[in-house]
Amino acid sequence: MKKVLGTLLTTVLVLGMLTTAFADEKIIGFSQVTLDSPFYVALMEAAQKEAEAKGAKLIYVDAQGDIAKQNKDVQDLLTKGIDVLLLNAVNPGGVAPAMRAAANADVPVIAIDRPANGKLATFVGRDNKKMGYEAGKLAVELLGGKGKAKGKIIEIQGAAGGKVMMDRRDGFHQAVDQEPGIVVVQSPYCEYVRAKAVKAFQDMYEANQDVVLVYAHNDDMALGAAQVLKQNGKLQDVKIIGIDGLMQAVKAIQNGTYSGTVLNDPALLGTLAVDVALGVLDGKEYPEFVDAGTALIVPDNAAKYIDDSKVFAETK
Amino acid sequence: MKAVNAHHAVSWKELFRKYNLLLFIGFFACIAATISPKFFTFQNFSNLLQQSSVTGIVSVGMTLVILVGGIDLGVGSVLALSGMIVSVLLASGYGLVVSIGASLLAGALMGCFNGLVSAKGGVPSFITTLATMVAARGLALLTTDGKPVFNLPESFQWLGSGFVGPLPASGLLWILITVISALVLKYTTFGRGLYAVGGNDEAARLSGIRVTRSTVYVFMLSGVLSALGGIVLASWLTVGQPTAGKGMELDAIAAVVLGGASLSGGSGGVIGAFGGVWLLAIITNIFNLAGLSSYYQMILQGGIIVAALMLNQFFRSRD
Repeated sequence: MKKVLGTLLTTVLVLGMLTTAFADEKIIGFSQVTLDSPFYVALMEAAQKEAEAKGAKLIYVDAQGDIAKQNKDVQDLLTKGIDVLLLNAVNPGGVAPAMRAAANADVPVIAIDRPANGKLATFVGRDNKKMGYEAGKLAVELLGGKGKAKGKIIEIQGAAGGKVMMDRRDGFHQAVDQEPGIVVVQSPYCEYVRAKAVKAFQDMYEANQDVVLVYAHNDDMALGAAQVLKQNGKLQDVKIIGIDGLMQAVKAIQNGTYSGTVLNDPALLGTLAVDVALGVLDGKEYPEFVDAGTALIVPDNAAKYIDDSKVFAETK
Repeated sequence: MKAVNAHHAVSWKELFRKYNLLLFIGFFACIAATISPKFFTFQNFSNLLQQSSVTGIVSVGMTLVILVGGIDLGVGSVLALSGMIVSVLLASGYGLVVSIGASLLAGALMGCFNGLVSAKGGVPSFITTLATMVAARGLALLTTDGKPVFNLPESFQWLGSGFVGPLPASGLLWILITVISALVLKYTTFGRGLYAVGGNDEAARLSGIRVTRSTVYVFMLSGVLSALGGIVLASWLTVGQPTAGKGMELDAIAAVVLGGASLSGGSGGVIGAFGGVWLLAIITNIFNLAGLSSYYQMILQGGIIVAALMLNQFFRSRD
């Protein structure tokens, strides 16, 4: 027993020394909103890989969608001694204590994916309004083109009150509302969850059988609608547009049962955020908003995005 | 308590008490029909049956647990974990039997744990299953590091999206489970014993019912049925999602209570729960058919549930 304890103690000491030996490597703290979603898992994995490749260390904490926990998490990270903080805020206004603590510790903060109020080095994210607009433009094109487009669209909405949902909605409407021939019927909020979207779409399809296009605020929900259409034997008659670039959707695009998706590659976002974080530590200046960019995946280019080992398509 | 009716004329209150749920469902169905001509269509009912089958199957297990005076907050997480197990096994090439079997077994084990800790360990099931809710969700996320599992074989999709004649297979499975459970509750010693355990477990013990064993079985059944719900959901959505079934426990509890069960145990039944699930489904269905905005939906849904339960209570305390 004593021997075991002795060995353990030595191991701990040696490990401790090793950690001190690497003390001059940059430490990035990452407070993630949740790891309860494949999107954020992919983002985190890419961030970790990039940090490793650049010789930095990344410590992450998972707020589990709880703003109080997030503020505590950030405090813990600062106590551990991080050099820079990547913050994916549960909500922009709720992170004031975390921002204060970071300012006191002189640690620069970079918002990632979702904005945060307060003094930021920069915000690395995507323009969801533009993504919605891209989806809208595609819809207009599929329904007959500018000025001639017509038909009924069912829009499956994301999470109530969320900025992403509002942007993806507003961007889309910016494109389709100019077309007098297009009518958009909105679903109840389905929280980006396929099971909820299936139920809602099943009901809405009963009431709107003349629908010609479905637009969902993410691919998971759009695939739910596809499932209902398939069951009704209408999969070929109704066009489907989603957002994200979920691999299952990209495959359906290649098979011709799905019209298009707007890429929201989480891996690139994670990689870019780590690069920016290290850049900030090197004293580089960044604009207020660093756009991770997007792309439209349609049948013509779907093939090059297909990769079975990935959950989300990656920027090419 | 049954003999009372013999020399009374059956009053409308009694009628209401007995069939209140049917009346509610009828009432909302009439509203629905006036709002949307699409409501009373076969297709709509078939959809409703399919949509509700997962919650319905889970609610049968929940009814049994509530009958013995317990509660199972772990159903949603166990559903997710089982859904992940079946999906991961199928995607790695195991057959339907092995994959489904392993998933059901996992549900049974989780339920067995809940039952043993609650009945033998004396921990209130609210706490035991709260722990299961958190831990099983963690396990579900751990199976694939939070990633959903796609590429499920076509043969697996039948359970969730297939049809037997004009009716959805998943809905028929739900009806079958409800009927079997109702028969077990009514005609077997085990079933009737559950009412005794829920009514007064000390009295039940003294009259020779194996209270601990019955309780463990009940939690196991709830675990197995949650697992089955997870399998049906994965089959229907063609994807295994570790985040599936969030809030499912609340839907199931609401359905069981709307179905006339008492949360202190000893009363209620699976037919009631069946009606409760339908009532909840019809309420959402009306709103969706009518195209009512989400916020109003939530408010009205809450209001209707409270109103239904208050009326229920009102007629129950009147004798």
